[in-house]
Amino acid sequence: MKKKRITLEAREKRTGLLFVLPWVIGFLVFFAYNMAQTIVFSFNKLTMGKNGYNLSFVGLDNFNYAFLKSADFVRTLTESTGNILIDVPLIIFFSLFIAVILNRQFKGRALVRAIFFLPVIMASAAITSALTANLQNMLGGLSSTAAGTDSQQVSGLNIQSIAVMISDYGIPKQLIDFLVGAVGNLYEIIRNSGVQIIIFLAALQAIPGSLYEVAQMEGATGYEIFWKITFPLVSPLIVTNLVYTIVDLYSQSTIIDMEMTTAFTQQNFGLSAAMALVSSAVICLILGVCTSLISKKVFYQT
Amino acid sequence: MKKLHAPKAHKVNRSVGGNIAMFLFLAIVGVFMAFPLVYIINNAFKPLDEFFKMPPHIFVQHPTLDNFQTLGTLMSDSWVPFSRYVFNTVFITVVGVVGHVIIASAAAYPLAKHKFPGSKLLFNMVVLSLMFSYNVTAVPNYMIISKLGINNTYAAVILPAFAFGLGLFIMKQFMEQIPDAILESARLDGASEYRIFWEIVMPNVKPAWLTLGLLQFQFMWNTTGSGFLRNEELKPLNYALNQIVQGGVARAGASGAVGLIMISVPIILFLLVEKDVIATMSTSGMKD
Repeated sequence: MKKKRITLEAREKRTGLLFVLPWVIGFLVFFAYNMAQTIVFSFNKLTMGKNGYNLSFVGLDNFNYAFLKSADFVRTLTESTGNILIDVPLIIFFSLFIAVILNRQFKGRALVRAIFFLPVIMASAAITSALTANLQNMLGGLSSTAAGTDSQQVSGLNIQSIAVMISDYGIPKQLIDFLVGAVGNLYEIIRNSGVQIIIFLAALQAIPGSLYEVAQMEGATGYEIFWKITFPLVSPLIVTNLVYTIVDLYSQSTIIDMEMTTAFTQQNFGLSAAMALVSSAVICLILGVCTSLISKKVFYQT
Repeated sequence: MKKLHAPKAHKVNRSVGGNIAMFLFLAIVGVFMAFPLVYIINNAFKPLDEFFKMPPHIFVQHPTLDNFQTLGTLMSDSWVPFSRYVFNTVFITVVGVVGHVIIASAAAYPLAKHKFPGSKLLFNMVVLSLMFSYNVTAVPNYMIISKLGINNTYAAVILPAFAFGLGLFIMKQFMEQIPDAILESARLDGASEYRIFWEIVMPNVKPAWLTLGLLQFQFMWNTTGSGFLRNEELKPLNYALNQIVQGGVARAGASGAVGLIMISVPIILFLLVEKDVIATMSTSGMKD
């Protein structure tokens, strides 16, 4: 009896390994190697030679430069992380709120959901460049150089340009200025919530309807139903969305832009790798603290 | 009896005022979300002179199909037949999406439901890898692709996409929510792990992998393959259309048409998939 159990466990382990294997190979080849190389680069000076690149070991010079000599690095890093810390809770609450609304039955629900997924679809290079190209043509002059060929910028459309166009329909300028200020931040949050809303929606749909039925029969209010049923059951996905949001915001942040210019415009790959390591470590730390704080509150059904 | 019913109905249904407020909120947010789309659709049908009107207009005044004709002419001038670009994009997208969803789900299942030695370490590595932006690791990434000898092939774009950490992360989080009892009963009935995976786990997390599929589709559909795909016959549609758009002021009309084409495919796909998600969830009745 005992012997058989061990073989069963061993077999299960082997099948488990088979399931993971394809992904692990891909991961090791394409990601683990990159991460390791980035660490190696950060301690070296990378120069271009005839046969690819040459590395010469410089110890902590790159890190020293980033922290002590670079004019922008520390400032940009604190700015980026600060922005992430402010935006993350707003995005999580906003997307959960929208997902709960969109999960209700109403006419045209499919259409409304599609509209809320639009920002994710809009984040495409061809679309962005088509939009900015049009904008340059329309506005011309200075603003066209400002809009530039910045295809890295994921934003679907500049809020300022919306204001310019709306102001044409006879709305007073003061009102528009006020709205632009107020909406500017909100727009950023909405734009970054598309995936989170979808993830929350998928979680909400997995909640069995019978739970709601029981709660209604017991006379629970909508408020109680949300906090006692909906919220605990989607809470595991809050962690998911938290991680996704932090990673997503980080990958769009100015610090990444700075690392890219350091690497590809200034050709200083070692410094760029050092910066990337430092900023990744900071983000990892934030991620670790946030998830461990929230994981304690998460409710697991099984 | 009346006393029993009246407060219940009042409490459960939202008030009319609340509904109106909610509708207004959705409407305002929705307008901002939908604005770029409305703008793109209108641009696609604007005659050339309307692009340069000052002050600019959102809505088209004299709709025309000229832009699509211009785009058609530009396309027929291209280096390789335009259908080749379309094929490249479709091939890269389909293989990339299907492969990623299957591989990531297969890896997520043991991570979520069979705790094997090293599974925690593996998962932490996945989350760590999410921190290393694709852009920052471009140099080592190029090195590995060229060492594998897959530079300038479809594989250079598709294979790395198979192993993205995000897919595994999302699938694992959803699979953890499947009750162990369902898997246990299947195991007692003698189902193999493959069968459990395909017939119990995957149907139960259908919304999750459809979502993941959409995200991955979005990524693959928009890839330009820059840096890796150098042969013109291998380049995707996004690259070709981008080249047309970059042509400057004279291409304003064509770029309007390009925007509409690039955006319509993901939107149509989203509408199709979304219906499917809702339909399956209402009938499956999973969870105990």
